[in-house]
Amino acid sequence: MLDTRNQTLIIRINKLRQYQATSINRLLLCTLTTLFLLSCQMNEKPLPIFGEREVVGTDTVYHTIAPFAFVDQDSSLVTNETFKDNIYVADFFFTSCRTICPIMKTQMLRVYNATAEMPDVKILSHTIDPEYDTVALLHDFANRLGAESNRWHFVTGVKDSIYKIAQTSYFATAMEDKSEPDGFIHSGAFLLLDKQQRIRGKYDGTKEEDVNRLIIDIKRLRRDEK
Amino acid sequence: MKSSRMLIFILTSILVWIVAACVPDNQNKSEDSVKFQQYYVEGERLYKVYCSNCHQSDGSGLGRLYPPLVRSDFMQKNLAEVICLIKYGRKGELWVNGVMYNQPMKGNPGLTELEVAEIATYIYNSWGNVHDRVEVAEASSILAACPDR
Repeated sequence: MLDTRNQTLIIRINKLRQYQATSINRLLLCTLTTLFLLSCQMNEKPLPIFGEREVVGTDTVYHTIAPFAFVDQDSSLVTNETFKDNIYVADFFFTSCRTICPIMKTQMLRVYNATAEMPDVKILSHTIDPEYDTVALLHDFANRLGAESNRWHFVTGVKDSIYKIAQTSYFATAMEDKSEPDGFIHSGAFLLLDKQQRIRGKYDGTKEEDVNRLIIDIKRLRRDEK
Repeated sequence: MKSSRMLIFILTSILVWIVAACVPDNQNKSEDSVKFQQYYVEGERLYKVYCSNCHQSDGSGLGRLYPPLVRSDFMQKNLAEVICLIKYGRKGELWVNGVMYNQPMKGNPGLTELEVAEIATYIYNSWGNVHDRVEVAEASSILAACPDR
């Protein structure tokens, strides 16, 4: 009686050992896979730098955002200085637009929420209809969207300055067009800017997958710029 | 034992007969449900073109900017106003489920009466909302009486 009990016990112990062996094997496999994946990530190419470049002596001078001065939803002045030592995402929209802008704002809200714990990441949304989108209106709009002004600036300014910076600095389309249903023509692009205000990525702000890629790239850029 | 089985059989038969009598005329019903399907499918297509950018494809709205259509008390209480605003737009404060919204909505004056009825049928029967089909005749008499035409 005792013998059979002992035998079953031994069988059980053996089984347990076998199980332990397989689980150690699995653990090894997992660790190796993770290491492999990590090494892939380390060899990842840095994000591209958009625009023309010039070689001055031994230095390369890249395309950066031209000097600007706009006013945000709190009537605060927003300039290049505001984004010093910050990564930021820029776009162009207007509040009364019902074509692509609401989708862009839904997607930008995802970026805003995904970067909540990143104090060095900001958002800059320019209105391309400054006559209608006053500071007070932008304030209400941002507030209703749930955006805080220290992380997400909604700016207005001189119309031509906004259109010019859109086209020449951000390579984004923004202009008036009376033939459009809402009176403006603009791209739904989100631009990713690094701490030196160089464009490092361009994404379609109306496509969820593109914005997923942007969120991943923000994390990459933060790692690279540390 | 035998008699009780007989009794159950008789009772079930009576029940089946009563239920069958209560179901409305089958032909009418299927014709109606085909109409409903046509309205609903077309309404969904139109919703995606004219409404979902702001109100989202799942009717959830966006922040306190664009009100939700999911379980919206405003919609339940104001069918006529909803039909009017789909075509003619709306300005000013609007309360939905205890939250105040104030983003002006532009109208879609190009929509026909049938298209408005189809959109209404779709939004009133999606995301947990349950309502009868909004007939084109009903939509057209409501639209004729909208205040901001």
